[in-house]
Amino acid sequence: MNNFVFHTMILAFCCEMASTAVAADAAPEPAKDTAKEPVVCFESRKGASEITQRDIKPGLPNVKCSPTTGAALWYGDPFEGTVPMGKMPLLDKIPPGHALVKPRSDKLALLPLCSTACHNGVGPSFSPPTLPKDKKPTPIPTMEGLLPDAKDLQHGRGRIWCLDCHHTTKRNMLVDNFGDPVSIDQPQILCGKCHGDKMRDWRDGIHGKRIGEWASNGKKRWFTCTECHNPHNVQDGHRNRGFVQLQPEPPPQLPKGMKDAKFEKTHPIPH
Amino acid sequence: MAINKKASAGPVKDSASECVAQPASADPSKAVLKTSRRDFLRAGGMLSMSSLMGAGALMAQSDDTKATVEWAEHFQKNYRLMTQKEKNEARLRLEKRYSAEYGKQVSVDTADAQPGVLMGYALNIRKCIGCRRCVHACVEENNQSRGKQRAGEKIEWIQVLRMERGEFSADKMNHGYPDGLGIQVGGNAYTPAGQILEGQYHYEPEAVPEKDATYMPIACMQCEKPPCVKVCPVRTTYREADGPVVIDYNWCIGCRMCMGACPYWARRLNVTNPVLPKEEMNPVTHYLGNRPRMRGVVEKCHWCLQRTRQGRYPACVEVCPVGARKFGNLLDPESEVSLILARKNVFRLKAELNTFPKFFYFYD
Repeated sequence: MNNFVFHTMILAFCCEMASTAVAADAAPEPAKDTAKEPVVCFESRKGASEITQRDIKPGLPNVKCSPTTGAALWYGDPFEGTVPMGKMPLLDKIPPGHALVKPRSDKLALLPLCSTACHNGVGPSFSPPTLPKDKKPTPIPTMEGLLPDAKDLQHGRGRIWCLDCHHTTKRNMLVDNFGDPVSIDQPQILCGKCHGDKMRDWRDGIHGKRIGEWASNGKKRWFTCTECHNPHNVQDGHRNRGFVQLQPEPPPQLPKGMKDAKFEKTHPIPH
Repeated sequence: MAINKKASAGPVKDSASECVAQPASADPSKAVLKTSRRDFLRAGGMLSMSSLMGAGALMAQSDDTKATVEWAEHFQKNYRLMTQKEKNEARLRLEKRYSAEYGKQVSVDTADAQPGVLMGYALNIRKCIGCRRCVHACVEENNQSRGKQRAGEKIEWIQVLRMERGEFSADKMNHGYPDGLGIQVGGNAYTPAGQILEGQYHYEPEAVPEKDATYMPIACMQCEKPPCVKVCPVRTTYREADGPVVIDYNWCIGCRMCMGACPYWARRLNVTNPVLPKEEMNPVTHYLGNRPRMRGVVEKCHWCLQRTRQGRYPACVEVCPVGARKFGNLLDPESEVSLILARKNVFRLKAELNTFPKFFYFYD
């Protein structure tokens, strides 16, 4: 019976619909096709992975960026720019192609040069190729210019040096437990050497960040260690916190009649 | 249906079952629908009213797309009572209206809860830096009103509470001693030492996290025993089978009983006409989720039903820069939420109220 009512009502409005459709004159707004600069926003911390805004389909962007802070605020496509994570120990249960990462190497412009320009393994000190004699870095102004964090390496609080993490002869790669080179896109293999508890939580999805599908065997983009932490200064110097400071997004609207938020600081008990 | 019931009831209760009416079901979708004289009259009344309204609209010649479909919405059932066919009709109606209104192809999902799924959420309170990215991701995803002109035009479902750390000091050791017959208190009483739940929502520092503050995001806890559902006089808000507490916006009368009942300050009323610019509107919606709301209805977090029913993480989980937010299936022992419950120190906010939230705070 409800359907009968419904269809009658549809009929009653048919004419009205048709008339509005005819009445609406086709005057679409001229397309604003000015070549705008692409909007790029950072994902976790500034200086690490970034994402460029584009439209997946009309009216649906792949990402929305914050106009205030430039941070990624919303993901339409969580898998943009990702590649398979590669083999990870103890993550064998994940179906193939369901663990993705964003390659870090794309962001590191100088990375391809590292193993050819200076640290090519055939320089004066490497002829014949020898390993460094001690674990004390030689201050090289060019290197310190390229990487200011190297001047006073915070990671490890002075107890580790470059080649504890970077491969001795293949400087654009990291080093695993056995001294074998590891891709810079798989820093978790290196970091997990010392930070085993964090590694375990990361593997289970408790530490760090994953986006995509929530099912435990779903397709996910995994954020690797260096997307959130600066590997050369994880503790952010004297702040001694694992994550750098960020500009916050704007606060909520003030309640009606309030000019500012001072009322929040008044405590019922004077102190 | 009646015949089947009779057959299964057995011969002993045969005569009794004829006298007794159909047993009332707690589940509205299983309620038995009868056609009575009252229904007939009501339908007749609706018919005449609709033709009157149709004539009125014809005469008005409104080109407002809203007007062309709103009348049908007025007569639709509560979502829980709709048949699949009626749901589809409602979906098509809304898709047509929203697409015209927002100038893009809008989809309105009506996906049901999946069996074997109980959604759960966990938030690492030690990791949260108070950047409010989740708050704004939620607004982008869920089509909240985002006006700035009038109070109540900007709606955010997540609140991030800033709490001072405070400290004990030796200077106050001699404070608080009674003058005459006063009651003695310790010298450091009345200082915000430790975390207090009288925090600030409107903090605006240059950078977060601040040195002497911790942050606590609060949104709907999707209680297993939700007080808001208990008080709703029109039963438009209810708990879905996979966990989230949802609202059928068309049946909300805006009485705000649920807002008063919620101990987590999670619900918002559209006091004004929602301000939702066309270009900012998210065209992927769910009927019980983020479809655009109207003035005078209550809305709240529903764990991005339009995403989570399709397998995606909620929007706030995806943008949290520190990975403090975790979401998963509580019935799956391998899910990140189940592993957190098994391994970490977990608490529920205001657990003493016996609302049994499925939103857990944890720290490591």
